[in-house]
Amino acid sequence: MDNLHMDALVVGGGIAGMQSALDLADQGFQVALVEREASIGGRMITLSKVFPTLDCCSCITTPKMSAVTHHPNIHLFTYCEVQSVQEHGAGFDISILQKPRYVDVSKCTGCRDCEYECPITVPNPFDRNLGAYRAIRVPFSTAVPQKAVLDPEYCLWCGKCEQRCPVDAIDFSQQPETFNIEANSIIMATGFDLTPIETKKEYGGGKLHNVIDPLMMERFLAPTGPYGRVLRPGDGKEPGSIAYVQCAGSRDDTLGITYCSRVCCMYAIKQAMLLNGALPLADITIYYMDIRTFGKGYEQFYQNAKAMGVEFVRGKVANINEDADHNPIVKVEMTDTGEIVERTHDLVVLSQGIVPASRPTVSLPLGSDGFISVPSPDSAPCVTKRPGIFVTGTAASPMDIVDSIVSASAAAAEASAYIRENNGRLEVQKEALYV
Amino acid sequence: MSDKKEPRIGVYVCHCGGNISGAVQCELVAKALKGLPNVTVTRTDESMCSDAGQSLIEQDIKELGIDRVVIGACAPMLHEQTFRGAVTRAGLNPFLYHHVGLREQDSWVHEHNKDAATEKALRLMSAGIAKARLLEPLDPIRLGAEKHALVIGGGVAGLRAALDIARQGLRVTLLEKSPFLGGRMAQLESVFPTEEDARKLLQDLIQKVVAHPNVTIFTQAEVTGVSGYVGNFEIQVQQHSRGVSDDNADTLMSACRQEVPNPFNYGLTKRKVIYRPYEGCYPSTPAVDWESYNGEPISFDGKQIILKDEPKSFGLNVGAVVVATGFDPYTPSQGEYGFGELPQVVTLPQLIRHLALSKDGKSLQWNGRAVRDVALIHCVGSRQVDGVHQPQEDGQVNNYCSRVCCTASLHATLELHKRYPQLNIYDLHQDIRTYGHGHEEYYRHALESGVRFVRYNGEEVPEVSAAPQGDSHPVLLKVKDMLTYGEELEIPVDLVVLAVGFMPRDLHGLDKMLKISRGNDRFLLEVHPKLRPVETAVNGVILAGTAQGPMNIQESLSAASAAAAKVASLLGRGKVELPPFVAAVDEEKCDGTGACVEACQYEDAIALQEFEENGRKVRRAVITPANCSGCGACVAVCPNNAINVQGWTLEQYEAMVDAIGMDMHELEVAA
Amino acid sequence: MTQSQQPKILILGTLSGGYAGADSTGQSHLEYPPNTYILPVMSPVMFPPEFYIRSFERGIDGIIVMYSGTDSPYKVEAEGTAKLINSAYALMKERGIDIRRLRLAAICTVCVKPFLKEVNQMNDLLKGIGFVKDELIARASAMEAAHG
Repeated sequence: MDNLHMDALVVGGGIAGMQSALDLADQGFQVALVEREASIGGRMITLSKVFPTLDCCSCITTPKMSAVTHHPNIHLFTYCEVQSVQEHGAGFDISILQKPRYVDVSKCTGCRDCEYECPITVPNPFDRNLGAYRAIRVPFSTAVPQKAVLDPEYCLWCGKCEQRCPVDAIDFSQQPETFNIEANSIIMATGFDLTPIETKKEYGGGKLHNVIDPLMMERFLAPTGPYGRVLRPGDGKEPGSIAYVQCAGSRDDTLGITYCSRVCCMYAIKQAMLLNGALPLADITIYYMDIRTFGKGYEQFYQNAKAMGVEFVRGKVANINEDADHNPIVKVEMTDTGEIVERTHDLVVLSQGIVPASRPTVSLPLGSDGFISVPSPDSAPCVTKRPGIFVTGTAASPMDIVDSIVSASAAAAEASAYIRENNGRLEVQKEALYV
Repeated sequence: MSDKKEPRIGVYVCHCGGNISGAVQCELVAKALKGLPNVTVTRTDESMCSDAGQSLIEQDIKELGIDRVVIGACAPMLHEQTFRGAVTRAGLNPFLYHHVGLREQDSWVHEHNKDAATEKALRLMSAGIAKARLLEPLDPIRLGAEKHALVIGGGVAGLRAALDIARQGLRVTLLEKSPFLGGRMAQLESVFPTEEDARKLLQDLIQKVVAHPNVTIFTQAEVTGVSGYVGNFEIQVQQHSRGVSDDNADTLMSACRQEVPNPFNYGLTKRKVIYRPYEGCYPSTPAVDWESYNGEPISFDGKQIILKDEPKSFGLNVGAVVVATGFDPYTPSQGEYGFGELPQVVTLPQLIRHLALSKDGKSLQWNGRAVRDVALIHCVGSRQVDGVHQPQEDGQVNNYCSRVCCTASLHATLELHKRYPQLNIYDLHQDIRTYGHGHEEYYRHALESGVRFVRYNGEEVPEVSAAPQGDSHPVLLKVKDMLTYGEELEIPVDLVVLAVGFMPRDLHGLDKMLKISRGNDRFLLEVHPKLRPVETAVNGVILAGTAQGPMNIQESLSAASAAAAKVASLLGRGKVELPPFVAAVDEEKCDGTGACVEACQYEDAIALQEFEENGRKVRRAVITPANCSGCGACVAVCPNNAINVQGWTLEQYEAMVDAIGMDMHELEVAA
Repeated sequence: MTQSQQPKILILGTLSGGYAGADSTGQSHLEYPPNTYILPVMSPVMFPPEFYIRSFERGIDGIIVMYSGTDSPYKVEAEGTAKLINSAYALMKERGIDIRRLRLAAICTVCVKPFLKEVNQMNDLLKGIGFVKDELIARASAMEAAHG
């Protein structure tokens, strides 16, 4: 394949990457959007509803996904990984690996016949491995592109999908392929992972039956979720008492994650409100150190949750164990009274924080916390130490969706200005300077 | 009409991921609507706005020959544009689509009455279908756009927005109300979390803006009038005189006798009415504070000169407007935490200026004595509670968090500790909200530095009073501390610092002129926090920075750059498209009564013209679409209903009313 | 379905006022009577007085015009709409329609409480005075009796 010449390359097709790509494309720039998963949408598309408006998450995400795929100036590369980035002329030469889908995307119509035929059931990462899907499938119902992908790790190569496919799109012979893109600038929108909880032994280290992470709760609460309702993963029972443990993996020296992850207070409150609707009889408790509802409309959201009857307990959770019925027992030091109490709940959600996602090998200086370093956030919040490479969203630091979207547009402004200034494309419209 | 083919209507009811289907029985609605005349297909989908949902519509247009589309989903404000796009892609005119709001106006407000919600959906949808039958293809009005943006406000957000718009190759005019650029950031010494020199960062930014060939700057300038629309706003500006020039400024300044409290130092110091706010300000030429100047003559060269403001007015043609008008720090009411009554009570911005002004000395001095104990109180003017705090002018309390004050307080605290290690510092807070990247470090350092944290309850705020005569300290603080299990503490202090929040600014009518609105918190309102976070409901008017709500410098910069990206998308091509919802005349019905011309309040929007037709002269109304606002004042007065607003015709409303008024059994029979 | 037995309220809400206010109410998930049908309008200054009469004749029992008042983006909306509504009142009186069935209210984009107040007031009123068709029938029989 010949090198593609692009004005910008955006790495990551989550909400920040999509917004950056759309803003650049709307200005007429040619943009390549590279996503490592089989669909764009990132973390956001897996969420239930979003704070503080409680809009359904897909109502915000899917139209952006659709706009990306229909935009004439955006060239979408899914299931691809950036392998290397070299300075080249006024821009960069980027090597990209196309992972094999084992499906010819030019033929696949997304009819899902292969999926219905496939005999192999595989845990579905979209549902935090709660539900199951097939070894070949369209990744999820609103995936973009609506194209099947085969998981070679689980596939038996039985050939049933190949026989069933009405358009002969299955291609077992596909191999990884490398191609190159030349781009004048790069935006890193590589997103986040949850803080790993395996190392947090006090909270069960991920081994307790009814202690879950917040993204799993998002799937329980999502209308498209694996069960369509909220239940205990340990035994499928409906929980009558649910607790949130805030700062599980943030502001925590023992894990080396000393920063605030910025989103956990609000998502816990949001989930508590949604649980209040889904399980009106359930008691919901949030154990916290400080409630940080700092954004526009957030404090009122917090006050609404209090008024709804969500219990806010200021206390540091020392540890979590479970009883014989696998009910989690939370040991908490109540800051307001000084008592140390043990309280048993049916389900505990660890409000895990944000760590930078694993990134492609783009040589970029990182901060001590692992996020891409921004040397002067109070003058150029999206500018990295490598000229021409910009960073947005949670690749730069923890932030919520609203802030990520604004940051994404800001990165687009930086990148587009850089492209113009470095390619002699700046229009000068001067008349006179007055003061 | 017989020459038209019967419409084929596709009807789509969105579940909205449970948001609508939770109350409205969507399948039932779809089934019932199937029986209505001209309805060719009805479908439901989990999420119509998803790519798959949009594809359904596109497919139906192509394969079933659907030529009118009705979608029942969330508020049209959110996704009308999305669906117009889908309809266009399938080759249909985008205005042959009608959107019915079933979420905000039905399922979300009748959650506990599912039958009623379903029936309401049915009626609203059948009204939509009734309108769709009468829809006509329309073309947007295409107009040239000025590749020129106006930025209002010369603080850090306005400067950044101006620079980034200029860097996109567009012309920018920056208006600043005061005589100097820089805004609130100029009043800071250092910024968190990098501890960089605030003034230096600001000067670098100003330098870039000033040096950029695409930028024109007017200081002492205010908007006095706005007309027009996206792409072609006409802005009236009034600019005050500087009053002095580089040649005479310094002499006049030293000769000037009149002094006023210096707002740059929040009244801690005085300055002359001819002034520079700080060394290195831009522009460096001093200016006259016209609001304060008492008109007294000033001696210059042996003459007595009376300074005169001779404001000049001029117009600007711009394609977009960025509102970067900033915020005011909250001013505590008289007596709130002793403010205005006890001289030892100051605001955090005052403390920051005080520290900037008193760099020498081994101890913190206040009111003529050394400060040994100081207390900071958080959330002053923020997170207020109804019934506990005094309401603002509009009767509401400031129930929002001001976002910046926690880190700003700790930033100041650490500065105090660094300079005066002997100082005892108390920090009275509700929650410590050091949420930002690198902000938590300030909290940790403060804890390590021995700052004493006291947590008060939002309903039981600390009390500040003068200490009894003879006490060691002038001020006594009483607070119930939740960190020591509700212990009632009495803390004698020398100084109380109120960490005041952000107040939305009085824009002196600018918001009204631009027709932009404010939210419940009185800050300027965006269309949607995620879909269009920096745009207002007025096309072409965009927000940047703290005019929209509390933000720190980094967040203001991002918002400003985002605003620039929106301006660039809007104006980059030099043309804009406006909705076609303007008046149109039915030539067959118009007999030239002129009632419409009389009713119209817009210049050159409508006129009577004479035409020759079959050898006789006829008079008819003619519309100039670019000047028509689409208000429809002409529609109500036309005796023949010969004039209508395209896309919103009287006939369409009558059909919708009929559908709503219809007896239910007509629909049920259809089902 | 029970709503058919309820009087119907038509709301003409401006995009920059009442319609947006209704959306804000929805975003707050605040409930109000469901026999309310909101149609978006650019500005109600487009409706001739006869439009309201026609609506009452077609089965609408109460109409609230939620305009933007003096905050309207349109120059003539505040004054013009009030004039048109006054003319409509005159027509209503002629036809024996209770003029309280038609109300003009300024509602802003975030006017959640005023929106709810207007809707509830009209709903309470209609509970008391009933369907417009009964008024129209009564009037018709009275006319018939007078002429008959």
